[in-house]
Amino acid sequence: MTTAVETFERDRRRMLIRQRTQAALGLAIFTVLLLVSFQRSQFFGSDIGGDPLGRMADFLQRMNPGLKPELLLEDRQTRGSLHSWFYALPIWLRAAWQTVEMAILATALGSVLALGASFLTAQNLMPFAPVRFVVRRILEAIRTLPDLIMALILVAAFGVGPLAGVLTLTISTLGGLGKLFAEINEEIDPRQLEALQAAGAGPLKKIRYGVMPQVLPNYASYALIRLEGNLAGAAALGIVGAGGIGLELQRAITYTEFDTYLAILLIIIAMIFLIDLFSEAVRHRLIGLEKA
Amino acid sequence: MPRQAYDQALAIAPDALRAPWTRRARDLVLLILALAALVGMAIDLELAPGALMTGFGKLGRFLGEMVPPSSGGQSVRILKALAETLAMAFAGTVIAAVVALPLGVIGAKTVVANPALHFAFRRFLDIFRGVPALVWALILVSAFGLGPFAGVVALALADIPNLAKLFSEALENSDPKPIEGVRSAGASPLAVMRFGLAPQFAPVATSQTLFFLEGNFRNAGVLGIVGAGGIGFELDERIRIFAFDEVAFIILLYMVAVACLDTLSRALRNRLA
Repeated sequence: MTTAVETFERDRRRMLIRQRTQAALGLAIFTVLLLVSFQRSQFFGSDIGGDPLGRMADFLQRMNPGLKPELLLEDRQTRGSLHSWFYALPIWLRAAWQTVEMAILATALGSVLALGASFLTAQNLMPFAPVRFVVRRILEAIRTLPDLIMALILVAAFGVGPLAGVLTLTISTLGGLGKLFAEINEEIDPRQLEALQAAGAGPLKKIRYGVMPQVLPNYASYALIRLEGNLAGAAALGIVGAGGIGLELQRAITYTEFDTYLAILLIIIAMIFLIDLFSEAVRHRLIGLEKA
Repeated sequence: MPRQAYDQALAIAPDALRAPWTRRARDLVLLILALAALVGMAIDLELAPGALMTGFGKLGRFLGEMVPPSSGGQSVRILKALAETLAMAFAGTVIAAVVALPLGVIGAKTVVANPALHFAFRRFLDIFRGVPALVWALILVSAFGLGPFAGVVALALADIPNLAKLFSEALENSDPKPIEGVRSAGASPLAVMRFGLAPQFAPVATSQTLFFLEGNFRNAGVLGIVGAGGIGFELDERIRIFAFDEVAFIILLYMVAVACLDTLSRALRNRLA
């Protein structure tokens, strides 16, 4: 006869052994994966030499624009002035503005397409199942394909320039927002749709008067978040030839002007920061409107 | 709606059925202005309809050449590149998590109580949060030379501020009661961390790190374009010589790998939650 205490002790010992084996196994797998990863990605010991810290210091040194406090406001020819560091500021600002335009256009176009797609994939609005299935799979495929790979192919097809960038971001926005919009559509209050149905409204009227008023604030808020993401995306796309500020980054690297790279990087950071502030302000207003 | 019922409804609640003309006019003007702004931007970017047409023609041809996908007899090399990409993503994520952890602790309101310091630190992280990995990779390749090493550092740099922010939020959101409970039992600070905080924080942090691993595998695939190794390099090479059957092969393989990793990671995250 075993007492309750003995049963408890036995079960507890078993549980502890199981937990510890699992933990040890997990740790072992993790360690092996980590070692293999470091080895495969040539993190230690490769042709880059055994002095990564020294190289890092050298690299930071080369990024230093060498500003001199007493020469800050001198003209472009004076080494150490702000003007000589940001020597092509008007060109960079123009490129940054192009990047912003790319992001805004792509977000607007992508949102409109996503709107259409979301009605085709929402269970409560699209009764025909095969259509939902096909559109959903297409959106999923878009989300799996990284933007930059799409951009590479589109740059090959449409040539170097903003067009390929806008198209890439539009398609990727369609994939991302289409799914989110469909989720919003499925969460709407069905009573308003029923009321319209009872009054004899067609599918378009149902969407216009039954769905839109409920979902527009949420849509807008998602689209604005997407705009922030698209802006960073547009900056990166330029590197593969899709126009905007990324092209300037690429140029700075081609001429190994690391201090110029830092200057353009600062402009990109400022640009992203400003758009974030703008988008956040608008989103908070939208949320406020919704509550009011 | 029958005419009569409509008239009745209009008499009862005119505003509900028809917005005043001032508001409708304002909405219309705003809409037209927004559309005009978009068209203006398109013109400024020189997005020509002609280029769009020829581009779609070319794209159609490319897509046609993609079937059937072909490995070009280099499947071993491609698989190796895929493994390298996964290795870059894994190493980058682990480094990012290790560096982000102390930063996250410093950024947590509950740890550093000084609001000015907290605000300054968070803003500092915010500044770097938006910089994409590719932008880091481009310059790191110049600094460290071609190869996956630059890619690993780029992925880590792009993740650190984001993970640190999530870690500090997870710390701030942890329930203080278990911590107080352990402390009131007379535990040492280390034991308080281990038994009060860690059981709450570790699953959340691990889950977020796994999420970043998924994202990094997607990002790592493109870093090769700027010379940071992996599958992106193979892909870029083949797009340059218009070998689209091999491009399709690589993309399909990569997408399957991404889906596998996503499924695995989601399963792990569900177990943690």
